[in-house]
Amino acid sequence: MLGKGGAGKSTVAAALGLAEARAGRRVLVAEVAGQHRIARLFGAGDVGEDRETELAPGLFAISIDPERATEEYLSGQLRIRPVVELLTHSRAFHTFAAAAPGLPELVTVGKVWSLAIALDADGVPLWDVVIVDCPATGHGVALLETAGNVEELAAGGPIRDQAARINEVVSHPAATGIIVVARPEELAVSEALDAIALLRGAGLPVAATVLNGVRADRFSPDEAPHLEAAARAGASAVRAAAQAALRHLEHQVADAAYRDRLAAEGGVPLIELPEVISRRFDREALETLSDRLAAPVATTARAG
Amino acid sequence: MISDLLTRRLVVCCGAGGVGKTTVSAGVALRLAAAGARTVVVTIDPARRLATALGMSGLSDAPQRVPADGVLGRGAGELWALQLDARATFDRLVARYAPDEAARQRILDNRIYRHLSGTVAGAQEYMAVERLHELVEGGQFERIVLDTPPAANALDFLDAPQRITRFIEGRALRLLLRPSTAAGGFGWRLLHAGSGTVLSLLERLTGAQLLRDVGDFLADFDGMYQGFADRAKAVRALLVSDSSAFLVVAAPEPDPLAQALSLAGRLGEEGFPFIGVVLNRVHPLPPSGLPRLEALEEALAGSAAADPGDLATRALATLAEEQVLGLRDLDAREFLRTALHGQQVIEIPAFAREPVELAGIAEVAAALGT
Repeated sequence: MLGKGGAGKSTVAAALGLAEARAGRRVLVAEVAGQHRIARLFGAGDVGEDRETELAPGLFAISIDPERATEEYLSGQLRIRPVVELLTHSRAFHTFAAAAPGLPELVTVGKVWSLAIALDADGVPLWDVVIVDCPATGHGVALLETAGNVEELAAGGPIRDQAARINEVVSHPAATGIIVVARPEELAVSEALDAIALLRGAGLPVAATVLNGVRADRFSPDEAPHLEAAARAGASAVRAAAQAALRHLEHQVADAAYRDRLAAEGGVPLIELPEVISRRFDREALETLSDRLAAPVATTARAG
Repeated sequence: MISDLLTRRLVVCCGAGGVGKTTVSAGVALRLAAAGARTVVVTIDPARRLATALGMSGLSDAPQRVPADGVLGRGAGELWALQLDARATFDRLVARYAPDEAARQRILDNRIYRHLSGTVAGAQEYMAVERLHELVEGGQFERIVLDTPPAANALDFLDAPQRITRFIEGRALRLLLRPSTAAGGFGWRLLHAGSGTVLSLLERLTGAQLLRDVGDFLADFDGMYQGFADRAKAVRALLVSDSSAFLVVAAPEPDPLAQALSLAGRLGEEGFPFIGVVLNRVHPLPPSGLPRLEALEEALAGSAAADPGDLATRALATLAEEQVLGLRDLDAREFLRTALHGQQVIEIPAFAREPVELAGIAEVAAALGT
C-alpha cells in the first residue's frame, strides 16, 4: 500500500486484510512506520514488534522496527550473540549505518521479504498474503527501490546477494503487487500518478489504484435546477438541505473526473471505496470498506 | 496568530501527511508577502506538490517568483517559491567546500555519494538544513516559510542537525577505512585489534567493495566535516531562536490530531518557538436543523421535479451527513483546545473547491485571520 500521507493507506490495508481473511486466507499486515494504526482500527493495543498479533480470525499484524530488524538480520548472519553485540555496540558500525545508503530501508524490506517467503514446519507458506503499509509516497517509493539500489551499489558480498533475492520478489509482478491509494483530490491524484511513473521506471509492479473516499453517486446533474430553486425559496432548513445537495453534486462530479483520470492515466485497475461519514471512524466503518473490497479480492483469488 | 508571525525570519509548518501543510505554508507565505516582505516558501516534501498549489509548473531548486501580484494588492512584497532538490544542494555543497578539484571529482563520482545524495530517504532532511542555511546566509529573502515532510519525518527534520553532527563524529570509522595508498594495493589502516574485528565483521556482511566505497566517501569528506557541523549548529540556533516560529497543521481526524499534539508537545519540550495549531478543512455545522421531509418535498415539487419525494429524501440525507461532519469537527476543535491549554488554534474551513490555484491559496491566507 503506497500513497500520499492522509490518503488512508492504513485504513485500506486493514480493510483489505479483513476482506482477504474473510475469503479464507491467512493474512499478515505489516506496518513499517511504527505508528500502530492498524491495531487501533481494531480497537486493540499496540501490535508486537517481534511477533504477529491476531486482530481478527485469520488476520494478523506486525510492526517492523528498523533497529530491531537490523539486530535480527545480524544475528542471522553472524550467528554468535557476543559477536553481534560487539558490532552493534561499536561506533564504527553506527557510522557505517548512517553513511551506507538505505540500510534501515534494506533491513525493513528484508524483514517483509522474510515474512513473505516464510514456511511452516510442513513446508507450507506461513502467510497467503502479506500486506505492507508503506510510509508516505516519497519515502515509500525509496523503501521499495532500496533492494534494487543496493544490488546495483554493492559489487559483491552477502548484502548484494540478499538485496538481489529481495528485489527478485519485490519486482516480480506474480509475487508483488503495489497498490497506490489516493483520495479524490487534485494533489493526491497527481501524486499517485507521479508515484506510478516512478515505480514503473524502477521496474516495480503496480497492480491497482484505490480511490478512497468517493462520494455516493446520489444526484444527477439534471436535478440541479430543482435543487437550485429550492435553495432560493422556502424555510432556512429547506434551503440548507438543497444547498447541501448541490455541494454534494459538485463534489460528485469532481470525484468522477478524478476517477476517470486515475483510471486512464494510471493504466491499472481502479478500485473505488466510498466516503465513510461517521462521527468517529470505528469498526463499523472499517467493515463497510472491507465489504466493498470483497469483490476485488474474490477476483484476484480466482486469478491465483 | 498572523501578527505573531510577521516579525519572524523563518516560519516552519509541520504536521501529519495529507492535512494540507503545503497549502497552509503557501497561505502563510502569501500573508507575509502581502504585509510587504520579500518571502520565499520552501517545500522539502519529496513529492512535488507545491508547484501545483501555486499554479506554477516545473518548480525548481532555484527560487522562482510566483506571479501573485493579482492577489497581493498594492504595497505588497514579493512571493517566491522553491522545491528542495537534495541532490542539487548536495552537489553545490561539494563544489563549494571540497578541498581541491580532485577531491571534488572523486566525491561526485563515488557510487555511495551518488545514491546518498539522490535517492535515499534521509538525504532530503540533511539537505533541507543546508538549503535553509544557504537561504538565510544568501540574504535574498526577508521571510522564509518552510513546508516539511509528514510528522514521522518532520521529527527527522528537527533531528537532522544532530544526525549530521553524529555522522561527522564517526571519525573512528573514517580513519579505519582510509585506504593506505602506500601499500600499493588496497588495505585498511588498522588502529587497534578491536576495531579490526569490527571491520572484518562489517566486511563479511557487505563485501570488500561496498565497505571500500563507504571508506573512500568518508575519507574524501575530510576537511568538509567541520563545515557541516558548523552550519547544522547555526540552523539549529536559528530554529530555537525568536526569529523562528513553528506552526503545527492538523486536520479534524484522529491520526492527524494525535500527531499534531505529539508534535506540539515535542516542540515545546525542546525549546522550539511553537506558536499554535492550524486546524485545516473544518466542516462548519449547518446553522439550521433538518427540515421536515414534507416541507422539502413541497419546495422541490414547486419546480416540477420528477420524483420530489425521492429527491427530498436524498437531499435530507446529505444535510444529515453535513451535520455529522460538523459535529465531528467540533469534537476535534474541543479536543485540541483542551489538550493545548490555551495555545492558539486557528480554523480554516473546508472549501467547496480544493485550494489548488493561487486564488484558493488567497482564500486560505485570508482564513488565517489576523
